[in-house]
Amino acid sequence: MSEAVKVVDDVAFEDLLANPYPVFKRVRDLGPVVKVEAANIMMVTRFDDVMAIERDPETFSSVNPQSLLNTVIGPNLMRKDGEDHARERAAIDPSLRPGVVKRCWADPMRAICDDVISQIEHKGEAELFEELAAPIAARALADILGFDGVDWRTMALWSQSLIDGSGNYSHNPEIARKAKEAASGVESAVDRMLSHHRDDPNPSMLSSMLQADPAQTVEQIYANIKVAIGGGLNETRDSILTLILGLLQNPDQFARVLAEPSLWGQAFEEAVRWISPIGMYPRRLTRDTEISGTLVRKGEQVGLCVGAANHDDRRFNDPEKFDLFREKKSHLAFGAGSHFCAGTWVSRALVSQIAVPMVFERLRNLRLRDPRLVRIRGWVFRGPTHMPVVWDA
Amino acid sequence: MPKIKFLLADGAELTVEAQNGRTLMETALENSVPGIIAECNGSAACATCHVVLPEEIMSALGPISEHENDMLDFAEASRESGSRLSCQIKVSDAMDNVSVRVPAA
Repeated sequence: MSEAVKVVDDVAFEDLLANPYPVFKRVRDLGPVVKVEAANIMMVTRFDDVMAIERDPETFSSVNPQSLLNTVIGPNLMRKDGEDHARERAAIDPSLRPGVVKRCWADPMRAICDDVISQIEHKGEAELFEELAAPIAARALADILGFDGVDWRTMALWSQSLIDGSGNYSHNPEIARKAKEAASGVESAVDRMLSHHRDDPNPSMLSSMLQADPAQTVEQIYANIKVAIGGGLNETRDSILTLILGLLQNPDQFARVLAEPSLWGQAFEEAVRWISPIGMYPRRLTRDTEISGTLVRKGEQVGLCVGAANHDDRRFNDPEKFDLFREKKSHLAFGAGSHFCAGTWVSRALVSQIAVPMVFERLRNLRLRDPRLVRIRGWVFRGPTHMPVVWDA
Repeated sequence: MPKIKFLLADGAELTVEAQNGRTLMETALENSVPGIIAECNGSAACATCHVVLPEEIMSALGPISEHENDMLDFAEASRESGSRLSCQIKVSDAMDNVSVRVPAA
């Protein structure tokens, strides 16, 4: 006998934005699928359920032509499955493979981090979101896409506008206008670069898409470059800050990482488990099915709350703690299944091997200006939004 | 149905019956073989289904793709001459009684 979906109707949307983890815990303990009225979505929050769903794309589809994401940026690989998805994914993968990251992107990313840190190094204080993490993430992304001459603030504006537009469920006209403006900005930037990348094949994502077999249409290129901008900037930015925060708040662990640099990778994986930059993404049911005994109907959408799954105490002890020495287990910060984050290897290299080690090496005795000033916000996307620090200049 | 022997990182062995046409990774998951995580479920994107195969079977498997080749250098356990991503290998009669080692991560 299957159970009906339970409902939580006494949570405010602001509660989710401020700190979704208590809500996630309540929902996780209540049932495998719970409708949270404030977010207007059925949440799946347990680790094993999310993993099982991601292994069954025929039942839990990413295809959703009516989604706002498709409206705002055009039909794109995040909302496709099977061969359609695989072809578009294969067109960008040659830019993002770990070996390519090491051979082609590590040096330019190091130069970007060096430049950004050089601009603040002498000051002895900074707000790390605006002065460090956002410019590093945006400039690295521009390089990898193959966008010359697009400054980081434009990249950041485009990214935020596309994200806001994709979540504009209240149809706010100003948000829609900004998203449209960002979309045409990206398309113009692609147009400007196409002949360069066609004539001079290189490891950039634009060039990979032009070299792909079958060739990608301009519409596919527009849409998937927009996905990369909307979905490839904030995660890197947020995980840079989260890793720095986790280490500053846990001096014992930090000391061990400094003494043993091979631990940087482990520290990064724990940071993105602890505060996952992407907290939720949707899947649509292609048939009536039970999720751990709870019936969900064909056509309905469930939100896979990977942020919640990464705090599932059935899998992780004391999940709310940053503990890079916890029992080693895989997490879902990069998602799972065929939509496993294409930028995983770029982020691992940039954040854990280049940016954050360089920050601690160059900004001596780095510390929070005041722990009370740190702001962390969001649930679909979550990360530190304000992080003032000081160091010995 | 070919039989496949998984040699686990802790020294234990697990012999399973495999179906032709399934991937080695799917076979491992269906039999709860420890150490095969397969986060990306067969897309060769995560390098968490790394196995080491005996030399004699390698030539029967055909060439390794550029993508898999790149990924293998970054699997958690160091690459060896028989290293493959198990999601890229289809089970066939040629694999009957083969020993597949799951390297210690």
